[in-house]
Amino acid sequence: MELTLAIAALKVVGYGLAAIGPGIGIGVATYGLCVSAARQPEMKGQLMGYFFIGAAMSEALALLGLVLFFIG
Amino acid sequence: MGEALSQFVEEAQHLSSQFDSTTVFSIAGWNVSQYVLYMLVALVLVAALVLIAGRKLTLVPHGKFAHIFEFGYDFISEGVGADVIGEGFKKHVPFLATLFFFILTANIIGLIPGAKAAMGTISITWALAAISFIYFNFWGLKELGFFHYFKSLCPSGVPAPIAPIIWFLEFFSMVIRVLTLAVRLYGNMLAGHMVLAVFSLATTIFLQTAIFQMDIVAGLPAIAWFFLLFFMYALETLVAFLQAYVFTILSSSYIGMAIHPH
Repeated sequence: MELTLAIAALKVVGYGLAAIGPGIGIGVATYGLCVSAARQPEMKGQLMGYFFIGAAMSEALALLGLVLFFIG
Repeated sequence: MGEALSQFVEEAQHLSSQFDSTTVFSIAGWNVSQYVLYMLVALVLVAALVLIAGRKLTLVPHGKFAHIFEFGYDFISEGVGADVIGEGFKKHVPFLATLFFFILTANIIGLIPGAKAAMGTISITWALAAISFIYFNFWGLKELGFFHYFKSLCPSGVPAPIAPIIWFLEFFSMVIRVLTLAVRLYGNMLAGHMVLAVFSLATTIFLQTAIFQMDIVAGLPAIAWFFLLFFMYALETLVAFLQAYVFTILSSSYIGMAIHPH
């Protein structure tokens, strides 16, 4: 009983840890998008594409954490 | 108030079972869950709306209804296809527009209170991600040929000794695309609806306390819960659109990477 509770708690903690890095990564990507769109607004459409790809790549790590939460 | 809070904590534990798939009806041994039912509803709705909008196609669209669909299609064609895929994007636009309209409709149906979001179950997003995965691999293999396509996974200009390692990493990141596409959509929709369920449950329980026990003070948090619910609902409306957009733009960027190697 206590072991299953500990495992369930550790899963949540593990997912929380997995979400730190992607959170920072997406924040940096958003910062870059805002700064460059403020400098050159006409590039915004093209930059959005790069932003989504970059955000998706860093988000992948958090999603792997979520998958481990379900299957681990 | 403490009583309402403990009741809320107790009921919230059973909340996740509300999101389990249950069989609504069976046809010839195939069990149809409530998610699949709402997926079929979205499918029929998209087909009907697009067929009505495209009944009389003219160069200049007539009527507001046709204009909305022209705008949506143009948004996918110019905003997603031309920007992200680049050269030769025209033949991929129908696929991308189908994905976008289908996911958007399913998500918006899920926002109706009482309805289920079809994308809130892993099996449906898994199928969509698998379709997208097979699609971009098929076009990559067709445009570049088997050997060239797998060679192009490793970017050119990488020094020869580390090229196999880079190739393996790129191959791995290409394979987990199917996983991340599926889990991103599923996780966002499920988590959003879970949060909405928690807030609406809290509103209900605190309101019940206020009404049945004639305790106005204990019911006051219900107002705060309701405003939280309201703002989360507005946010979920944004997420419903954003996740459809993200799925489409990622599919198109994968197609672009597959057919235009760097």
